[in-house]
Amino acid sequence: MLSTVIRALVLVLAGAALGFAGNAARPHGLRIAAFAPPTECTGAEAGAPTPAVMSPAEASTLCGQPTVVIADTRNANAFAEGHVAGAVHLPCDAGGQTAVDALAHFSHAQTIVVYGQSTDDARPVADSLQRRHPDVKVAILDGGFPAWSQAGLACASGPCDECKSTSTKVAHP
Amino acid sequence: MKERALGWLALAARLVVGGLFVVAGALKLGDPGAFATEIANYHFVPQLAPWLAVTLPATEIVVGAALVVAPAAWRRAASLAAMGLLVMFTVAIVHVVRAGINVDCGCFGGNSGPVTAWTAARDLVLLALAALAFRGTKEYAK
Repeated sequence: MLSTVIRALVLVLAGAALGFAGNAARPHGLRIAAFAPPTECTGAEAGAPTPAVMSPAEASTLCGQPTVVIADTRNANAFAEGHVAGAVHLPCDAGGQTAVDALAHFSHAQTIVVYGQSTDDARPVADSLQRRHPDVKVAILDGGFPAWSQAGLACASGPCDECKSTSTKVAHP
Repeated sequence: MKERALGWLALAARLVVGGLFVVAGALKLGDPGAFATEIANYHFVPQLAPWLAVTLPATEIVVGAALVVAPAAWRRAASLAAMGLLVMFTVAIVHVVRAGINVDCGCFGGNSGPVTAWTAARDLVLLALAALAFRGTKEYAK
């Protein structure tokens, strides 16, 4: 039995060694020391309040209010191509200091409107924000950015500082 | 007769578990960054996420391949290793289900679907199959 245990350990260690070697050999392998866990990618825990869904027209009435923050959960390229004016870029997989910087925007917020490419696309981030800020009203933009664009509501486009700060994200596009 | 039936069942069990391990490992190899994020999302051992993301896919492939093609003594060891890995997976999944965290499984690479009680049940079935493969593989058989 001891030899079986030793062999099992050898198999696991051989696999781990192969994994390290393969990762080191890849031009874009994972940089283990630089990996920052995401802070905003999980959904709601049981019992947490559920963010409401808000129509684009209703959301547009909140624009410009100092206690309202709008968060864009899409990737950096989509954000750079066009986003709701004044929106903070907070992709689902923002990690480490990037997420901390983005979350600083929410310290004064009483309402946070979250949008993605669709309603469901924004839900994980909205759930997570609601859990972090239970006293804040968190809402999801119904239909996401496409619905906002189709409604002809104000949006901005082009390069932005937030895009640069979130371009180092580590996972899903 | 009974021993022969056990041998056939063990063969089927290790082919199923070994095949699934190889496929699962191969599907995770493509994007270790995404896999590390999925592991971190479990909120179980987030500090180990990048280490596991780099080592786990290759380990699954090695263990799975050994289950299918290695000599008997190594197949038996691979069954034991698979049981250890499956226990680890099941503990992480039960943690997520109990905490009510809505997270993608990552079991077979991206878009593997959410973690539910069924995910834990599937792992327990695989654990039973790995135990059957272990039980039915003689250490010194040829």
